[in-house]
Amino acid sequence: MYVYDQFDHALVRERNAEFSDQVARRLSGELSEDQFKPLRLMNGLYLQLHAYMLRIAIPYGVLSSVQMRKFAHIARTYDRDFGHFTTRQNLQFNWIKLADTPKILEELAEVEMHAMQTSGNCIRNTTTDQFSGAAKDELDDPRPWAELIRQWSTIHPEFTFLPRKFKIAITGATKDRAAIRVHDIGLHLTPKGFEVYVGGGMGRTPHLGHLIKSGVPGEKLLSYLEACLRVYNRYGRRDNIYKARIKILVSALGPDEYARQVEEEWNTLDQAAIDAPYYEIDRIRSFFPDPAFADKAFDQAALDRAKAADPAFARWVRNNTHAHKRDDHVSVTISTKPVGLPPGDASSAQMDVMADVADSFAYGELRVAHDQNIILPHVAKADLYALYQQLDRVNLSTANAKKISDIIACPGLDYCTLANARSIPLSQEISKRFADADLTDEIGELEIKISGCINACGHHHVGHIGILGVDKQGIEFYQILLGGRADEKAALGVITGKGLPAEAVPAAIERVVRLYLQLRTSPAERFIDVVERLGRETFAEALHEPA
Amino acid sequence: MSQLNSSATPTLIAKDGTRILDGWALLNDEDVVGADGPYVLGFERALTELPGLNGKYGVRVNPGDDIRALAPYMEKIALVEVNFPGYRDGRGYSTARILRSDLNYQGEIRAVGDVLRDQLFLMLRCGFNEFVLKDADPEGAIKAATDRFENAYQSAADARQPIWALRQKLTEA
Repeated sequence: MYVYDQFDHALVRERNAEFSDQVARRLSGELSEDQFKPLRLMNGLYLQLHAYMLRIAIPYGVLSSVQMRKFAHIARTYDRDFGHFTTRQNLQFNWIKLADTPKILEELAEVEMHAMQTSGNCIRNTTTDQFSGAAKDELDDPRPWAELIRQWSTIHPEFTFLPRKFKIAITGATKDRAAIRVHDIGLHLTPKGFEVYVGGGMGRTPHLGHLIKSGVPGEKLLSYLEACLRVYNRYGRRDNIYKARIKILVSALGPDEYARQVEEEWNTLDQAAIDAPYYEIDRIRSFFPDPAFADKAFDQAALDRAKAADPAFARWVRNNTHAHKRDDHVSVTISTKPVGLPPGDASSAQMDVMADVADSFAYGELRVAHDQNIILPHVAKADLYALYQQLDRVNLSTANAKKISDIIACPGLDYCTLANARSIPLSQEISKRFADADLTDEIGELEIKISGCINACGHHHVGHIGILGVDKQGIEFYQILLGGRADEKAALGVITGKGLPAEAVPAAIERVVRLYLQLRTSPAERFIDVVERLGRETFAEALHEPA
Repeated sequence: MSQLNSSATPTLIAKDGTRILDGWALLNDEDVVGADGPYVLGFERALTELPGLNGKYGVRVNPGDDIRALAPYMEKIALVEVNFPGYRDGRGYSTARILRSDLNYQGEIRAVGDVLRDQLFLMLRCGFNEFVLKDADPEGAIKAATDRFENAYQSAADARQPIWALRQKLTEA
């Protein structure tokens, strides 16, 4: 993975010195909360319902065992012994004391991490495929490009006060696991350069991104992005926070006109000054070699025996491993979603174990996926059972990757000042309802995503089943959306049926799922496939209690 | 954010930290434009009248104004006042960058309005060289902004070379 040089270190150090000074001025009373707010937001520090929340950037979701161990240390020392992995491949600590933040940032800097630009109306952490550099279906590795964008966008002098936040995602594989069409800019890395999608997003007015340009060469990517951002910075709406994202601009201008303006702007730019040259791209790329793959003798018969002797392990191998470019390796999903617990949370003890198994079995490397799970990208098949047993000891062996209980949920009313309804308790109730592992396996791939308000942090628009919490005269109600997906066939879910009270939702979902099991032509036909074949309305009636 | 030390009176200060006297006068719409005077015209008025004027003028640019409309008159402009009605409105940064890099404008670019010490670093990088700053210690604010970061990842309108260019120099050395 990328390693800081003297320049990267100096910049983070300078930024931390600045923020330490601002925190000191706030604590002494020289700055009011009102004055301090934009300064802390630029450094990832939010004031939540109960305490300060610090959001730490995990660049494109890639982290080392050393960094994971540091998270465990911070959770133990400064928080309530746990952290929360987010849908943007970041980590949040929810119970932070303001006076501790300079020390925490200093500790993070020791392991080449920071909290810059994890909030505010600036370019946020670029996200990517959690299986980058490992997946069998990958055409090219997006991580060097994500790092190039990270550097270009860090303290960009022109784009720190955009109309609204700005999120870029990159994929380099056949399957889109980075949800590029629901990002402000989505980049698809192909052998012929980048395809650039602009204007996707969720929130109150969801849009799928439009392809505005193909074949942007890598060595021109930054100047093209700069042109995209400049047009947005100048013409994006600033009169209404809910209409300020680039999706509204692109939709108002039309994608063709937006693309034309970008092209015109691009031609005015001093591209040679903006674009990092080949040698810098090659330098960055040199940090992302394959690990020194261990040629461990792999005994298929031994694995089969272990699976036969331990059905839970067999299930975990079936559900939580992903095809690797090498036949003797796999990528492993460590589920942060055991039945009945909040999605994305991990204790310091669990973080330590994840760091340890990464060192023992995964060349020291981990990823955070946008579904909030942790990935070990490279694991020798020969090590699977030993790995599983270590994870199992700390409740990290839930075999539900991509299954109905692998739910994305926002923090909801339990933590968030914006939410109308609770998300986490509902996700727990649903996962309890489908706690039967055999039933979960029979249902197969099914993505449920829950947001506690229309800001859509739980991505309900792109859930196969999306659940949106609303406030109806002081009572929490939930709208159900069907048919959304964020992959290479991206589509937005549509509200189906009437809203339901919280206690009715798990049963309604079970009726929908049972109907799906009746309607599918074979186990290979997934829930989302049946919704597309028969239409959402097929399931509308099942959402409601039979009269 | 409300202004840091907001009780301070505004000071016109240059990027090198020296205070300067403001010789320019912002004209009201009903005022007559004198010849080659130190007059700052509103944007619309500048578009209408600069074609018939000789000499050097100032122009006040608001966030929604397209600075490129003034491209034909660059040699008649000696001062561009970029107004920040609120610090959150970042359009003025693009205005300054377009002036410096696309329109090749060499005159003064002055930030006016909600100009805060914590933005000065960004403004300096985008090509602003004068600031109307409400701060109890304007010299200190300029110094802090100048010294805050030694290097930057991107090229912009200041003298800093992007970090990728510095890396290349190191390997050549």
